[in-house]
Amino acid sequence: MVEIKIALVGQPNVGKSHLINSISGATLHVGNFSGVTVEKKEVEFERDGYRLKLIDLPGTYSLHPYTPEERVTKEFLLNGEYDLILNVVDSNQLQKNLTFSWQIADLNKPMVIAFNMYDEYSKRGGEIDTEKFFKLTNIRAQNVSAKENFGLEELFKKVIKTYQEQNKPRIYYSEIIEEEIENVREKIKDCRFDKRFVAIRLLEDDEDIYKIVHEKPWFVELLPQLNESKQIIKNEYDEDDLKEIFFEERLALSKGIISQVAKIAKRETLSEKIDKILIHPVLGLPIFLFVMWLLFQATFNLGAAPMDYIASVFDSISNFVGKFLPDGILKDAIINGVIPAIGAVVMFLPNILILFLGINLMEQTGYMARAAYVMDGILKRFGLQGRAFIPLVSGFGCSVPAYMAARTLKNPKDRLITMLIIGFMSCGARLPIYVLLVSAFFAPEVQGNVMFAIYIGGALVGLIVAKILRIVLFKGEPEPFVMELPKYRFPKIKALLFDLWIKTKTYLKKAGVFIALASLAVWFLSSFPRENIVKEYSLKIAHVKSEVKKEELKEEMRKKILENSYIARIGKIMEPITKPLDLSWREDVALLSGLAAKETVVSTMAVLYGGNSSNSKKLIEIIRNSLPFTAAVAMIIVVMFYSPCVAAMSTFYAEVPQWVWRIFYTIYPNVFAYFAALLAVSLIKLFS
Amino acid sequence: MRLNKLNIGESGIITKIHAKEPLKSKLLSMGFARGERVKVLKHTLAKNTFDIDINGVNVALRDEEAREIEVMKES
Ligand SMILES: Nc1nc2c(ncn2[C@@H]2O[C@H](COP(=O)(O)OP(=O)(O)OP(=O)(O)O)[C@@H](O)[C@H]2O)c(=O)[nH]1
Repeated sequence: MVEIKIALVGQPNVGKSHLINSISGATLHVGNFSGVTVEKKEVEFERDGYRLKLIDLPGTYSLHPYTPEERVTKEFLLNGEYDLILNVVDSNQLQKNLTFSWQIADLNKPMVIAFNMYDEYSKRGGEIDTEKFFKLTNIRAQNVSAKENFGLEELFKKVIKTYQEQNKPRIYYSEIIEEEIENVREKIKDCRFDKRFVAIRLLEDDEDIYKIVHEKPWFVELLPQLNESKQIIKNEYDEDDLKEIFFEERLALSKGIISQVAKIAKRETLSEKIDKILIHPVLGLPIFLFVMWLLFQATFNLGAAPMDYIASVFDSISNFVGKFLPDGILKDAIINGVIPAIGAVVMFLPNILILFLGINLMEQTGYMARAAYVMDGILKRFGLQGRAFIPLVSGFGCSVPAYMAARTLKNPKDRLITMLIIGFMSCGARLPIYVLLVSAFFAPEVQGNVMFAIYIGGALVGLIVAKILRIVLFKGEPEPFVMELPKYRFPKIKALLFDLWIKTKTYLKKAGVFIALASLAVWFLSSFPRENIVKEYSLKIAHVKSEVKKEELKEEMRKKILENSYIARIGKIMEPITKPLDLSWREDVALLSGLAAKETVVSTMAVLYGGNSSNSKKLIEIIRNSLPFTAAVAMIIVVMFYSPCVAAMSTFYAEVPQWVWRIFYTIYPNVFAYFAALLAVSLIKLFS
Repeated sequence: MRLNKLNIGESGIITKIHAKEPLKSKLLSMGFARGERVKVLKHTLAKNTFDIDINGVNVALRDEEAREIEVMKES
């Protein structure tokens, strides 16, 4: 089967990922702000006897890249392997989008344009005559809506046709410029790029292309011509900035073509109306804080509702399994190790889903970009810019995508500072730990607020650390802030539910496989060595008669095994260090296991404290009785600040090549967490 | 007159972009070009951050960036 490699190119937020999902059933992440896709992604499907391989590239505003993720796109367009360019355009912003289309058309590759979001455009009375567009530009185009799923099949028919005919764009600039392009082009000899393309890019001062050709032997002959041509253009246009001249050329081209092919739509006014309130100069910030507060209240209170139900399900599973397994180590391991651990983790699934839904809604509706706008002033005081807000909020979901999202920051210093504090934004996996400790130690009326305080507190401390880093290590100005605010969009319920379902699936899978294995390991480490103790106690138990006494002895034996176990030995090495925080070796071990994944903190606690109860609701009870209040606070604070899980850490390492920063990143959060917890514990003791 | 001097609801025609590269290319690619009409939709209380309409596209930028855009105010 013939394969067609299609590079999907477009400005940010035009719906490329959505289009791929709609045509191929893939599940790429979609969000209503620029910079959702920061990596190249590939998806394959088949149509009419062809295998179509779509390569989703990060959205980019122009071929003069500005941010690292835009660079990925340019790099791919120049050096990657592909047969055809599919340029996705937002019909609502024809002028701005097409100005970029002409730049890619210069590459002189077979090209197709998808006028996406046509549903919105036509609703407002707009129309695009794609036939006429084809006549004028020799680019086949199709009006589509990725959201409402129309025009997509036709689009890919046109893609295949364009591929068969190797149909290339014909875009011409004004005469003076074309003349100089031709003059420069003649001097270009062998080169893997299209010569006209190279000529154009050289004329508009594209440094990347310059670097590529300036080593060629024919470059010496080219240079005088290039300089002369540039000078001619500059004189003709009475302007020194060639980039600007070319930009205005393309803008004029867009205007000309739009006036011939499109019926312009009425202005969209809904977003403006909503923005009157949501980003109101005075109300904007309080509204944002209120939205966040509401989210954490919901996360806590609504999330608690199904807890009893989940706990009872796990009780019955445990009873059921218990009946079937023969007594012995295996039964012990499963009933006291694996099941309660999984139960403890799954119990918090509703909380996590609500938090995730909230963040997702902010992304889908377009509020996220507004929040960045509203927060920009505050972030600026801390030496960051509004754009940094988006990776930071994603950090509340999971640090891994948050580190990736930081690629949308242009300035390497800004990016590094942001990445260094992302860990302070408590991720969804830490939620179970907070819920567990907060439900155990705080009065029900304030629990939601305590949660909110934990999250906001973490974020605030993160900002302060950012400021300190900015002053001490990264002197310099924060990067400029220029960000598009997308239209408000009503999210598709089906897509939201689908996202939730995917999230649930991965979470349950993690609980079922990873947490199960981890807790098995913890159970094993906490149950051995046991031989001598078991021997000693089985004698004693055999001697006493009363059932009550027997149970007591069994309990005593369990405690003794635990105190003597491998895991206790590990924990006790750490105990002296965490003694000032009132943490015992059990918490130490739980926190240590949290480095593998934050959910394991809870599952480890369940194994170490659970004893023989599999009821996860009871776990809260037991923890309340076994830990002093100060220890709970210390634990919360440590979890807020210490190193994230391995997955997050390796993402950081992958994104940041410098060893100094990797080492710094690995050490400082832990030191910070320790002293922050110490301070809190001492304060509590001082005042009580 | 510079863009950051406009008040909410006021509009103007761009006459020059003073910004240096790479910010200039960025602004151009968002549609800030000579002859285009811009309107200030919103700004934050301290006039630190602006919400600008350019050709039906909403762009947020800071005072520092708005200052780099020369406009002729429309009445
Ligand atoms: N009404 C409408 N909305 C759409 C359509 N296609 C995409 N969207 C919405 O537009 C927004 C952006 O979609 P994405 O697929 O994330 O855009 P993208 O081009 O991949 O964006 P980046 O990753 O930032 O480059 C989302 O809110 C989509 O739901 C469409 O055809 N009609």
